[in-house]
Amino acid sequence: MTQQPVVSGEVIDEATLTLEDLARACSVDTDWVVERIESGLLADGSPYVASWRFTSRDLTRARRMSQLERGFEAAPELAALAADLIEENHRLKDRLRAAGLGDD
Amino acid sequence: MEFKDYYQLLGVSKNATAEEIKKAYRKLARKYHPDVSKEPEADQRMQELNEAKAVLSDPEKRLAYDQLAKRYQSGQDFQPPPDWDAGFEFSGRGFEEADLGEFSDFFANLFGQGGRSGRAGRGHRMRGEDRHAKVFIDLADAFHGATRAITLHVPQVDAQGRVVSREYTLSVRIPKGVKEGQHIRLTGQGSPGVGGGPAGDLYLEIHFTPDPRYRVERRDVYQTVPVTPWEAALGASIETPTPSGAVKLKVPPGSQTGRRLRLKGRGIPGPEPGDLYVELEVVLPPADTDKARELYRTMAQELAFDPRQRRGG
Repeated sequence: MTQQPVVSGEVIDEATLTLEDLARACSVDTDWVVERIESGLLADGSPYVASWRFTSRDLTRARRMSQLERGFEAAPELAALAADLIEENHRLKDRLRAAGLGDD
Repeated sequence: MEFKDYYQLLGVSKNATAEEIKKAYRKLARKYHPDVSKEPEADQRMQELNEAKAVLSDPEKRLAYDQLAKRYQSGQDFQPPPDWDAGFEFSGRGFEEADLGEFSDFFANLFGQGGRSGRAGRGHRMRGEDRHAKVFIDLADAFHGATRAITLHVPQVDAQGRVVSREYTLSVRIPKGVKEGQHIRLTGQGSPGVGGGPAGDLYLEIHFTPDPRYRVERRDVYQTVPVTPWEAALGASIETPTPSGAVKLKVPPGSQTGRRLRLKGRGIPGPEPGDLYVELEVVLPPADTDKARELYRTMAQELAFDPRQRRGG
């Protein structure tokens, strides 16, 4: 059966996600998120973390870390390190592309 | 729906130990990790691997799957027989380790909603899983907004209590000003809840379809604009297409290839709109006619110009 409702969503940016939203979107419990924030592995430097609100960037990072921890049974610190490197890699690729150099 | 051979997907034998399954999974997960893999369809391979691991690393599900697999081969058309999992008791939903919403129809039919036993009236009420999907939009969509159709497969319990896969298309409004990597949350469009619980949410991760004309960094957009030598040398007012529409651009006299002009606020819109950077590329007219060759010769004679001398080369 096919339906075609037109739906509008909310853009996750700035401070839209709550702690519970973030945990649920990553299929983890809130303690998982809290522990990683308190250890500086997640949302580090985010201006919203003090009010326990999370951005698109935090969501991407939290999902990436949780998948790395599960898939490789990685220690949270190691998953965060891999996430740091992946993010840095993406940043550099973006800059290469912006400079017209491609990434191949 | 095709039968999936999870052992084949992981490249292990039917009697592989838990340790062998784990090792095979990790090896392939490294190869197909979507963040680093250059393999085609890495996302889909990763999903299949996660699925295979979720089943084969859980002794209860592996046993139930093995019983079923005796009757099927990989790729064979498959419908779960009634009561296929009779006699197996799955522990709760059992998928704390995975995003159920991201698994295949095959998986959802077997284990969706915790399998048959999970919906056998334990009376618990649970919110549906959140789901995630990537959406590719054109850069122009971020400037003007757009509506995109997204096809999703959702496991659903039918009137007979069977889990069926329902395909449906959502038309989603992509608001103006979205950035690469940003998420759009569609409340209640995730997996259905259990026991009358609310549905989960659907998160769409926005990506721009690669466009050779434009490059994007955060909200800033970069594009190269070809100009003639006389436009670059003498200055000119030219018209050029940009993601937000055609604009008139002033080329300052004495421009060279690589000169970057900033059009403030003409990047991706938002509370703090990005800038558009136009990089000039001087393109020489071909010397393919007598007239063109004559003009080049005149320049060579009349202009005291040696770019190598200037560089000291």
